Amino acid sequence: MFRTVFLVLVTLVIAVGGGAASVWYTLQAQEGVGATTIGSWTAYPSMGAPDADPYSKARAAREGLLTLGKAEGLAFFATRDTGGEELSRRCSYLVEGAAPLARFWTLYAADRSLTMISSERRRKPALQSLDLLRNPDNSFAVAIGPDVTPGNWLPVSGDGPMVLVLTLYDTPVAGGIGVEDVVLPQVLKAGCRA
Amino acid sequence: MLRFLYAILLGLVGAGIVHIAVLLLLPTLTERDAWSRLANAADLYVVTPADGSDGSQPVIEAPDPLFSAVACRFDLEDGPVRLKADGSVPFWSASIYGRSGDNLYNFNDRTAAGSALDFVMVTPTQMIEMRKDLPAELESSIFVEVDVDEGIVVLRSFVPDESWRSIVSTYLKSIACTTQ
Repeated sequence: MFRTVFLVLVTLVIAVGGGAASVWYTLQAQEGVGATTIGSWTAYPSMGAPDADPYSKARAAREGLLTLGKAEGLAFFATRDTGGEELSRRCSYLVEGAAPLARFWTLYAADRSLTMISSERRRKPALQSLDLLRNPDNSFAVAIGPDVTPGNWLPVSGDGPMVLVLTLYDTPVAGGIGVEDVVLPQVLKAGCRA
Repeated sequence: MLRFLYAILLGLVGAGIVHIAVLLLLPTLTERDAWSRLANAADLYVVTPADGSDGSQPVIEAPDPLFSAVACRFDLEDGPVRLKADGSVPFWSASIYGRSGDNLYNFNDRTAAGSALDFVMVTPTQMIEMRKDLPAELESSIFVEVDVDEGIVVLRSFVPDESWRSIVSTYLKSIACTTQ
């Protein structure tokens, strides 16, 4: 009798706990079903679309937020540098390379909830492609960190994790075709404050 | 021992079923949706900030600091809804969401003639009525057919630098979200 009750309990705990935990795990993971990863950057091209896969739908519903449409643009999120280490607000980074075809793009430093980090300066940690210093070959380098840097610079302050958000507006990339072949800038670590 | 293994196996099968059930039920059971948050902030047909610029929680994902966004809830059962703005901005884009937050239709200023923001959201039935007798003031509007009644429309506008901030906010304030 006692044995049967115990076995039923084991079954139920594995079923309910395991089922709920596996859903939670797949939804909070940066990568997974519905996500496209290019270097350090991850995008969710089908999130919010009515014909999206169940994982993208559940992820969108869990956050309860309205997503950017395909004719509007596509956002890429970087939580790690090219070396695979998590981005920290105490460190300096260099975002270097070229951006894919788009009418314009913006880059900003955010916290985990994807709202902009305050810089504690007059300059905001946000930058756009129409207002950018470029190299002669049209590539660019943006310094991100707490210390003043010449050239393009996103000032950040405080400590804790950081997410870089690169949003391409009015871009053919957002159509979802060939997102995997897009070349995005590299996120290189320059150094950290002790 | 065999019975214990059997219980674990059964549990794993159950976990699979629970996984699928939770995944499919999540979108319908969630209470943190954009619709209810906007409903707390403003009534239907009232244009409200959606990017958290008024200090509230943003209802759009990853609110771009170089953008301003406003939202307006509508119910097409009350008739077609027209969105119109005065002036011009460097870039605007619009998304129409269903009540559950599905992005049903979206477009940007290149879609519109002369990049003027003037569009009318209609249900397929209202579209048939409109085709029969198009009101003169809607002649240059873009018609967007959506197969829902309740929905949210979000307008995003680019703020290239701080000097544009007031121009863009005046533009977004001028948006009228009205039933026809």
